[in-house]
Amino acid sequence: MAAPLELSCWGGGWGLPSVHSESLVVMAYAKFSGAPLKVNVIDNTWRGSRGDVPILTTEDNVVSQPAKILNFLRKQKYNADYELSAKQGADTLAYIALLEEKLLPAVLHTFWVESDNYFTVTKPWFASQIPFPLSLILPGRMSRGALNRILLTRGQPPLYHLREVEAQIYRDAKECLNLLSNRLGTSQFFFGNTPSTLDAYVFGFLAPLYKVRFPKIQLQEHLKQLSNLCRFCDDILSSYFRISLGDGWLRWIVYYFKVGHVLYIGRG
Amino acid sequence: MSLVAEAFVSQIAGKVPFIHVGNQVVSELGPIVQFVKAKGHSLSDGLDEVQKAEMKAYMELVNNMLLTAELYLQWCDEATVGEITHARYGSPYPWPLNHILAYQKQWEIKRKMKAIGWGKKTLDQVLEDVDQCCQALSQRLGTQPYFFNKQPTELDALVFGHLYTILTTQLTNDELSEKVKNYSNLLAFCRRIEQHYFEDRGKGRLS
Repeated sequence: MAAPLELSCWGGGWGLPSVHSESLVVMAYAKFSGAPLKVNVIDNTWRGSRGDVPILTTEDNVVSQPAKILNFLRKQKYNADYELSAKQGADTLAYIALLEEKLLPAVLHTFWVESDNYFTVTKPWFASQIPFPLSLILPGRMSRGALNRILLTRGQPPLYHLREVEAQIYRDAKECLNLLSNRLGTSQFFFGNTPSTLDAYVFGFLAPLYKVRFPKIQLQEHLKQLSNLCRFCDDILSSYFRISLGDGWLRWIVYYFKVGHVLYIGRG
Repeated sequence: MSLVAEAFVSQIAGKVPFIHVGNQVVSELGPIVQFVKAKGHSLSDGLDEVQKAEMKAYMELVNNMLLTAELYLQWCDEATVGEITHARYGSPYPWPLNHILAYQKQWEIKRKMKAIGWGKKTLDQVLEDVDQCCQALSQRLGTQPYFFNKQPTELDALVFGHLYTILTTQLTNDELSEKVKNYSNLLAFCRRIEQHYFEDRGKGRLS
């Protein structure tokens, strides 16, 4: 438990700590369970070339994929599902499956496949976060991976056509959002008054869809009609991810001191 | 309910399920359920909105974990593929079509596994996922006769179809069916449905 836990993940924007769903799921779970994560946001100095972020690193372990990372954190006694009953634990698994099967394809499509969105928002943002020449390769690879996943899980072999499945995946996603809204009702979280794994997953999938500003926004419009889901995201952002103005200011002061120190030593 | 379950079981056994109603023929599980619903026999009418959401979520869990695990075992486990699946899949076709189609299907399934992140899973990890899924189903079922207490729903049909297939299909190893047998209430659930709805088929295959 004393070993430092470091999380490599994609950075934030539009008021979110991360715009990448999987990274956001892990960050939210860590906040809910009290796990002390050191978050390393991918930036222009990043040397790694793996596309399968988020990655949790400890002294002896490297864990990837949100489900495995959450399992690992639970084994380290950072358990956000401590108060759930056996049935609620079972419900968690079922709802996560619902999110992955019904909502994820449309979210992937909105971010990575819909051309207007991809070329004006997603690609420039991700490319700006990583060094050249990776910025030319990685976004394209992520986009192809998303398309692949959509077609192989929803398309009909042997000729997979996107147009056939587009309408269906958006219909399914809207139905899924309605189901989530019905299930949440007026509660603060999905199981009572404390957030759990399911809340982390729902937040991770919904928040980017809710906040990122896209040209083509049919799914976003639908989500905005479901006010309890929007309230759910906003509550988590303000309670668990308070971005204080003080931080940024302090960082500039430290930076100035460091630069001054180096210049001074250099002269002597 | 029996119609839907029967259709599902025959689908998993490798045949396309279809029902004849008067002049109409409807095939595949999804459309069959919709068709039966349109004729006024929906199984989930008695459920409220939250229960319907739960039912859909559990159906996705079964599709996500059990169906994928079945496909994995059939097409990505080399022992099973070599001894059983290849021959069974290609059996309706003449040589060389039987080999070509079987290889093509295997390649297709492997691509899909890779796309959803199951490409690197070992057999043990897949069995662990099945165990987790069965545990969730067992906890949800509890001591009730059906998942939503007194009335069977589409979820019961789906779960029965998958578990029955797992329990009765011969594969190279029994680990998959052993995982299911660990949960006595699921076993009792399958036996109960088999006896109740399929008793006119003669002796049950679940001992």
